[in-house]
Amino acid sequence: MTAAFAVSGLCKRYPEFALQDVDLSLPEGQVMGLVGVNGAGKTTLLRLLTGLAAPDAGSIEVLGHRLPEAQVAAKRDIGFASEDMRLYRGRSLDWHIELVRRIYPAWDHAYASELIRRFDLRPAQPLGGYSHGQRVKALLLLCLSRRPRLLLLDEPTTGLDPVARAEVLETLADVLRDEGRSVLFSSHNTHDVERLADSIAFLHQGRLVAHADKERFLDNWRRVLCLGGGAAEVSGWPELAQVRAAGSQVEIKVRAWSEDLPQRLSAAGLSVQRVDPMALEDIFVTAVRTGGAA
Amino acid sequence: MNLNRPVIRLLILKDWQLFEKQLAAYVLAGLGALTLLGLARPWAFYLGSLALIVVVVAAACFAISNSLLVERKEQTLAFVMSLPVSPLDFTISKLLGNLLTFGVPFCVLLLGTLVVILSTPLPDGLVILATLLFGHILLAYSVSLAVAMQVESEGWNTFAMIGSMVLVNPFLMALGQIESIQGPIRQDAIAWSLPAALILGAQLLVSVVVLVHTAWWHGRKAAFY
Repeated sequence: MTAAFAVSGLCKRYPEFALQDVDLSLPEGQVMGLVGVNGAGKTTLLRLLTGLAAPDAGSIEVLGHRLPEAQVAAKRDIGFASEDMRLYRGRSLDWHIELVRRIYPAWDHAYASELIRRFDLRPAQPLGGYSHGQRVKALLLLCLSRRPRLLLLDEPTTGLDPVARAEVLETLADVLRDEGRSVLFSSHNTHDVERLADSIAFLHQGRLVAHADKERFLDNWRRVLCLGGGAAEVSGWPELAQVRAAGSQVEIKVRAWSEDLPQRLSAAGLSVQRVDPMALEDIFVTAVRTGGAA
Repeated sequence: MNLNRPVIRLLILKDWQLFEKQLAAYVLAGLGALTLLGLARPWAFYLGSLALIVVVVAAACFAISNSLLVERKEQTLAFVMSLPVSPLDFTISKLLGNLLTFGVPFCVLLLGTLVVILSTPLPDGLVILATLLFGHILLAYSVSLAVAMQVESEGWNTFAMIGSMVLVNPFLMALGQIESIQGPIRQDAIAWSLPAALILGAQLLVSVVVLVHTAWWHGRKAAFY
């Protein structure tokens, strides 16, 4: 399977921040969610993937093009929308559509019209009169209607009200049904990522903390509640991300679950009371705090 | 040099469409100033020439600040940079777009000024002073444009624009100290002296060098950030 993008040993340094030694790839047709707190390096990584920024070290290949050298060719097949990207307030959506349509030959006019209806946008109105949610939808429309092979979305749902967020997520879910299209979207909202992504990458302080298929993430991580006094004995086990004791009760967060783990915990003096799957948000917080891998 | 010419053309057209109404207003204001100049009376001459300088300087500052500083501030530059353009394509489109949006009102008002001087009782020698004055504004504009493309700080950009444009006053005073320039402008014949020709040549040369250097500097960059 060819890669929509592949980065290796990627580093980018700014005075206050550095993205360090990132190795990551996305097979074509897959959806990857990039999760991280503000300042984790998500925007920097997306800028590098669009050729807007040049790496200090490492290599970037997007849709077979080496970046940033071949950024023009790559950007013909990339749809990029970021939270800090704005359209011209004094101009209408129609004006923007005409501008973008003339640049991208694959512009899908019927799909653009459908998105205008679905998003309930007024194409002749200057964008200065649009709400934040409408502006985000307009930007997505301009990205999606050019039918890009790779969609890069930086915080697409940030700042949206619940209704607008649902509409945007539904549209993205529709887009993702097209198996030929690859998507990388960043968010600090793990619920959005859990809903849409095939694979997930956690970024924290410029480093890739964890990266795996969503199912593997959810299958591997467990929250185990035990009773007993063997917390100190098991805390060094590599498959356990976190062991916290409160009196006789011990909460264990497992990063590599296996069926024989309860037996081994019992042998170590811990009686397993219950085993629960973990939500992605909890996995993310634990992974970041412990610096652990999936 | 591998330029994406169709997209560069579209981006220049975009800048023109964004600012055409405001620039038309500057041209209209400039024509009002030229009307005053054309009355060829002392009070109208001083009022008209002052208004003309203000209009041309304002048009220069408007073109630079709206196509670069406001785009940066309002985060529309990110949208443009996401299109299939390289840093060189972007730089060329910004330089040419700016030269077009400022160049049209600049040329209309320069030609209008020359026509007014030559077709009214004003001494034709004023053509020299007017040309040098427009040359100074062109130079100040080129320097301000180069700074705006290089420096993101709004403060430094404002300083570069205001600083270079207000130098028009000392520049006019300095011209008044050069007898070979001051003398002919009161006459009804256009007599270019060597100092006047040298000053005009230097203005044009430095303007071109500044703009070409800006294009070359940005063209070397592999990426925007």
